Amino acid sequence: MNVRKQITAATLASSLAAALAMAAAPAVAAPKPMRADMDKCYGIALKADNDCAAGPGTTCAGTARVDYQGNSWKYVAKGTCTQIPTPKGPGSLTQKA
Amino acid sequence: MFAPVQSAFAAALLDPERPVPAGLSTHTAAPLNKRFAAYRNNVVVGLVNALGTRFPATQRIVGEEFFRAMARVFVTAHPPRSPLLMTYGDDFPDFIAGFPPTAEMPYLADVARLEAARTRAYHAADAAPLAPEEIACLKSDSLQGLRFLLHPSAQVVRSAHPIVTLWAMNSGERELGPVEDWRPEDALIARPRLEVEVRALPVGGAAFIVQLLAGQTLEEAATAALADAGDFDLARNLAGLIGAGLITGFAIEEPRKELP
Repeated sequence: MNVRKQITAATLASSLAAALAMAAAPAVAAPKPMRADMDKCYGIALKADNDCAAGPGTTCAGTARVDYQGNSWKYVAKGTCTQIPTPKGPGSLTQKA
Repeated sequence: MFAPVQSAFAAALLDPERPVPAGLSTHTAAPLNKRFAAYRNNVVVGLVNALGTRFPATQRIVGEEFFRAMARVFVTAHPPRSPLLMTYGDDFPDFIAGFPPTAEMPYLADVARLEAARTRAYHAADAAPLAPEEIACLKSDSLQGLRFLLHPSAQVVRSAHPIVTLWAMNSGERELGPVEDWRPEDALIARPRLEVEVRALPVGGAAFIVQLLAGQTLEEAATAALADAGDFDLARNLAGLIGAGLITGFAIEEPRKELP
């Protein structure tokens, strides 16, 4: 005999309620939302690791062709950008040449 | 006709045994075959580089020399079918699975599948996750006809090998070391916000999500997951999806009224 476990309407309801409780609890870490305490930091991203902007003719994120490209930026914690050292000098809140 | 010229040119690009296509001329003194050889090399190297960019963990596992040699074989046998290089290599994992020199690394193709899914997730459409409050509003008597809509970037890669651990160790996410606990891992790959995320799924989770992605109801997906793994935990799996921000919508099907 094929014993197949059944999902009842009550199971669905209780599981969903439990899931919402778990998702709300801090134990299940939700991915970080976009926050206002991030700066766009230019000139620190490794190639293909920029979050956006890498000059004309590119399709933006992930397109920087060289490491620490001056016109590509990456999100970093607010206030830390200009303290990030790279072999090409610190990060910048504006585009670097 | 131009088409035969084009196909002869394209075929000669990928096969160094073929002669330089007819009808080419050069404005400089350099011999034609040398100039064509440079072009030929650029095409193959460019595609090999594209694969190296898309499959960095796979490359790290086998080493650059092996990877580039394998990629070169793939490139000549599977030239791009689309001008979009971001999609190039979707069939590279299948090629790896059938590539005899990798036979001793049966996990390699699955790690490559995970990496291919990451690129697809990266380029997938954006979608805003449902807030838990919106999910909490669902009436309990409507749950049996409930279908969840998952984020467009969400993909599942199932494996008989610990692919999430292997990928994490070879992508810098986790320190490289011996895999203590060699067991199957199913991966969930998605980009709910800016970053592509890779998670190892709990038991039954892959079957559950695959069914949801196929448009099955919550009830059907949970039943399939229970059949796949007897100790499937519906609440835990739902919490994972909600917490990851991967539930982006829902639809409720009215139960069919029985005729009197």
